Amino acid sequence: MRSRLPTTNDTPAMQQRVITIVLLIGLFFSLSLLVSGMSGWRLPDDQQGYAPVQPIAYSHRLHAGELQIKCGFCHSAATMSQYAAIPSSDVCMKCHAFVTASFNVMREELRLADETKNLLAKVEGKPESEIPALTKQALEDLHEQSDALQIPSDQLKILYDSLGLDDQLQPIEGKTPKSIPWVRVHNLPDYVCFNHQAHVTAGVTCQRCHGPVETMDRVRQFASLSMGWCVNCHREASERGIDGHPVSASINCTVCHH
Amino acid sequence: MAILFLLRSIVPCATIEVLSMKRDNAKSDPDRPKDATHPGAVDQGGLNRRRFLEAAGFSISLAAIGGCRRAPRQIALPFPIQPPGVIPGQMRYYASTCEGCSASCGLLVGTRDGRPLKMEGMPEHPLSGGGLCAVGQAVPMELYDSQRLMAPLRDGKTASWFDIDQEIIAALRSVREQKKSVRFVSSTITSPTLQATIDSFLGQFADAKHITLDAVSSSAILDAHEQTHGSRLLPHYRLERAEVLVSFGADFLGTWISPVEYTAAWRDRRIPTVEHPAMSYHVQFEGRMSLTGSNADRRIQIRPEEQRLLLEHLASNIAILAGDRLDWPLQPDPPLLNGNLGTLLDEVAERLWKAKNRSLVLSDSQDVDEQILVNYINHLLGSYGATIDLERPSRQRQGNDREVAQLLEDLKTGNVGALLVARTDLTHNLPDRASLLDAIGHVPLIVSFAEREDDFASLARFVCPDHRPLESWSDAEPIDGLVSLAQPTLNPQGKTRSILESLALWSSRRDSAYDIVRAHWRGAILPRCPEAGDFQQFWDETLQKGFVHLTPRATRVRAFDKSVLKPPRPAEAPDGFSLVLYTNVAMPESRHAHNPWLQELPDPVTKVTWGNYVSLSPHVAAELGLKEGDVLEVNAEDAEARIELPLVIQPGQHDRVLAIALAYGCKGTERFAGIGPEWLEARPTVQPGERVGKNAARFLHFQNGSLRYSRDNVTLRKTAKRRQLAATQEHHAIEVPPDVAPHGAARREIIQETTLAAFTKNPEAGAAEVHYDPEAQLWPEDHPKKDHHWGMVIDLNACTGCSACMIACQSENNVPVVGADEVRRHREMHWLRIDRYYEGEDAREGVAHQPMLCQHCDNAPCETVCPVLATVHSSEGLNEQIYNRCVGTRYCANNCPYKVRRFNWFEYAHDDLLQNLALNPDVTVRSRGVMEKCSMCVQRIEEARIAARSAGVPLADGDVQTACQQSCPARAIVFGDMNDLKSEIHAAQQNPRRYRVLEELNVRPSVSYLRVVKNQDEQNEKNKEA
Repeated sequence: MRSRLPTTNDTPAMQQRVITIVLLIGLFFSLSLLVSGMSGWRLPDDQQGYAPVQPIAYSHRLHAGELQIKCGFCHSAATMSQYAAIPSSDVCMKCHAFVTASFNVMREELRLADETKNLLAKVEGKPESEIPALTKQALEDLHEQSDALQIPSDQLKILYDSLGLDDQLQPIEGKTPKSIPWVRVHNLPDYVCFNHQAHVTAGVTCQRCHGPVETMDRVRQFASLSMGWCVNCHREASERGIDGHPVSASINCTVCHH
Repeated sequence: MAILFLLRSIVPCATIEVLSMKRDNAKSDPDRPKDATHPGAVDQGGLNRRRFLEAAGFSISLAAIGGCRRAPRQIALPFPIQPPGVIPGQMRYYASTCEGCSASCGLLVGTRDGRPLKMEGMPEHPLSGGGLCAVGQAVPMELYDSQRLMAPLRDGKTASWFDIDQEIIAALRSVREQKKSVRFVSSTITSPTLQATIDSFLGQFADAKHITLDAVSSSAILDAHEQTHGSRLLPHYRLERAEVLVSFGADFLGTWISPVEYTAAWRDRRIPTVEHPAMSYHVQFEGRMSLTGSNADRRIQIRPEEQRLLLEHLASNIAILAGDRLDWPLQPDPPLLNGNLGTLLDEVAERLWKAKNRSLVLSDSQDVDEQILVNYINHLLGSYGATIDLERPSRQRQGNDREVAQLLEDLKTGNVGALLVARTDLTHNLPDRASLLDAIGHVPLIVSFAEREDDFASLARFVCPDHRPLESWSDAEPIDGLVSLAQPTLNPQGKTRSILESLALWSSRRDSAYDIVRAHWRGAILPRCPEAGDFQQFWDETLQKGFVHLTPRATRVRAFDKSVLKPPRPAEAPDGFSLVLYTNVAMPESRHAHNPWLQELPDPVTKVTWGNYVSLSPHVAAELGLKEGDVLEVNAEDAEARIELPLVIQPGQHDRVLAIALAYGCKGTERFAGIGPEWLEARPTVQPGERVGKNAARFLHFQNGSLRYSRDNVTLRKTAKRRQLAATQEHHAIEVPPDVAPHGAARREIIQETTLAAFTKNPEAGAAEVHYDPEAQLWPEDHPKKDHHWGMVIDLNACTGCSACMIACQSENNVPVVGADEVRRHREMHWLRIDRYYEGEDAREGVAHQPMLCQHCDNAPCETVCPVLATVHSSEGLNEQIYNRCVGTRYCANNCPYKVRRFNWFEYAHDDLLQNLALNPDVTVRSRGVMEKCSMCVQRIEEARIAARSAGVPLADGDVQTACQQSCPARAIVFGDMNDLKSEIHAAQQNPRRYRVLEELNVRPSVSYLRVVKNQDEQNEKNKEA
């Protein structure tokens, strides 16, 4: 009597094979789980891809991309200081004292204006009585619609609020201007000093480090901003220059760490 | 985590396999007890303890790495409306006036993003000439002090300004109605606007007086001039014109009247060159070892009581030389002067007379008769109009001790209806506190303008805190005809109010400090400036420049009146010990007592930090069997005053003199008990119930209408107690201890010194013999410094040891304060220290001060021993310290021959958010376990380089100034690019006086020094060699 059980062909070799298969399947599943779980994993302090939600849904794609506003218009400190600096609210007011609606509404406004213009061209020179009632009605509708567009956009309201202004852009009594709490996207550790002025005046484009910001609705960190990434660029720039003109980008430690 | 546990349960991963193997090995180890006896360790196939720990350890470490995904969310707050001219992240400098003491030096306030960070001297200022002392530079610590008063107090409780004003105005009205008197006490006020505001406030009352009480009074000088020249004034001493300078006790390089100005002026005549080998001759007579004495060509120890005799003798000698007839008989050899002193005085008189019109005699004596003698000597020497300016007198000390004494009498009569005290701690600074308290009790209205609850403020009914300097508008007129503006550089942080506004309000005028200053300038300052036209333009120009020259007020000075000279009094031999009260360079006034930078700044001579002490000469200490740190009881029987303080043995001090520093023991310094790191063996900086140091003001006394800072008949008693001093004197010594030194190498030529006579013959006199081959090199020349090669030259003949550079460095480089206990353990963090060397027995042959900082050696010994390359050489010759690489082996510090590396034994406290505003954002705050040291202000080099590159111009000589160099009142430090053949540093390196410390080690330091030259004849040199 070799066994009390009917599965007499259950040899140790067979058992081992089953175990191996089970283990391999297990390994496959766990690895795939691990890989998917670790996809977000990166080296400490590597923030590449970080795109926090901002207090105002400011779109660089719209301003720098579609409207082609130069980076330095708002980030004017970049050529003068180590910080590019987030512009103060009064910089926004250079345009948004006049542009008070959202971009879609502005487009709508333009469309309405065009339509009105077309209609008016049609009725131009005609006596009042000859204008069809339908056209009159359409003109009135257009007028009403554009009135409705005068309300500032929700996002701009946050800006006006920070400056202590009401919807009519008049100062609210007793309200002092407050900073907008923007969330920093590019956080270098405190032991690194990156100087914008040095790079911008040497001819490094903003996009070299910040990526195609003009295509981003919400800014995200484009490069890894790791030390290796910095040093490689410094070496390369010293060898090849920037835009054909020679530069000396030092790789001494204390250039950035002091 | 779940995945990881799953992983563990099915896949024996590599790490765990290794662990399992280890376990098996352990099992087979015959020396180990059998695991079977330990039920927890038996491998039963399931999850036993060991496996659990393995799995947990592995998964925790993975989870930790996985958790490092994102740095914390950071908020960036831009200005809502950017002030014009402010660029985020860029330092801007505003011209202002230092309010650290009444010297009123020119100040450049470095502000960044709206907060003042760095105080620098204003190079264009006619008095301070770019220098700024340690106290002036430590202002940020006092500005960002969370423990100062942020709101007014009534009866010790916070109250609103409205309520307080109502009550004070009502009280003042009743004072006026009852025709009681009003007394306003302050330290010297150099601000013309504040003076005018006080005068107009006091004008409301029938009997009102403004009384000036200085922390250290110079009342006798003013009184003497009132008698000899008919006008109570402090002359403006022009040290830069003095070829022979004799000082009786005046510590003009350290604390006396205007030390920064005097240091700059003194230095002008102390630099001999090959073409012009001349320098001034400086003789110092003093009892204790002062900073000035330590820099003198000749220093003579005297008792304060002998001073009068010496002055009489000197005056007689000079009178003979000048052919002036004295009514009193000359004592050619006074009995009390020992032979040496007599001949010495003859010699000094001759030298003074030879340099007629170019010589100067100074004294800090508070005896009016002595000051009259000084005036007489200066008169005979023709100093008035030459080295002493009476036409533009100084306003830096206006204290009137006679009036202070009168005030104490007035208070006792009970006729004083209101007592207002500003910028001085009345009860702390005056002796006999008990009777003073009693007298104050009679006054119905007591107002203090103190910034914190000091001793007097805690007695005052109302405390109306003044703004800190840098928070308010003000001005200053340190010298008649030189007026400077002080502008605010940040908004007041608390609900404090400018004293100008408070006084105006109580005189029924509601004006802002800005309006008050402008109104005074429009009405009183503008008319004194004949060239000025439009007020606004005048104001704007002055504001930008910081100061303006005006026509001096007409000072009525009459010719020297000899009749006030009193015949010599018969000299009495003093009894017991003489006590000399003085102030430390780091602590000139009690209002700086809350400044941790200043408390931890070693005294330039004794090198003691955190508190005062009693100093005694080595002979007497040996005689009495006293050791350093023994607590002594100092007793002045006639004043019923005693104090217990630890002993410091001070070479160079007169054998019968004891010296104690004033301005310690201030109320509120209990706060420093917990300063420094918290750990098991930490001891508090201040013992429970104690303060930093003890108040020695109890030994002051009034005599003949002036407050005296010395007294005789003081006795000494040893107590059983001992207190270890927090002195940095022997820390980081770079001398070879004599017992381990090889034969002939015991004396290292760290300080090289020569005499003017020897220098004239051979400019390289005093150089150490070179016993090594400077060409020999162990290392290949593989560090070409093509671009720049930064270096520094420090002129030891200019350096006085005033320690301003130490605070400049601390402020610039975020150097932490460690507390007294850590200082005792040799763990102070100053990157720049000043080594003090005594020459000869009892410092008889002089004292030398040597700033010692990282020498940035080309063959740096620290670099070769660092196992992790945390200290490396830059392509510009800098020895770089990389904090992030450092693992804290401290090999580098051990291998550093100059002992300039500092280790962060702890995470030094940075939890005071307000105080953190004083941190320089360009410099990393170091954490525990890393080494740090002087970086030659590499952040400033980078800043200047970027600015030059952005402007498209090469970096010019002088574009980079290190913090220590910028602030140096003596302009002793030259920094620059040694590759630039036209630079100042290149010229300095060609100076025949140049040498490098420990040159024989061939580490090739980038820092070199210029040899000390003392104005002595060669005889001294030979004596020394013998």
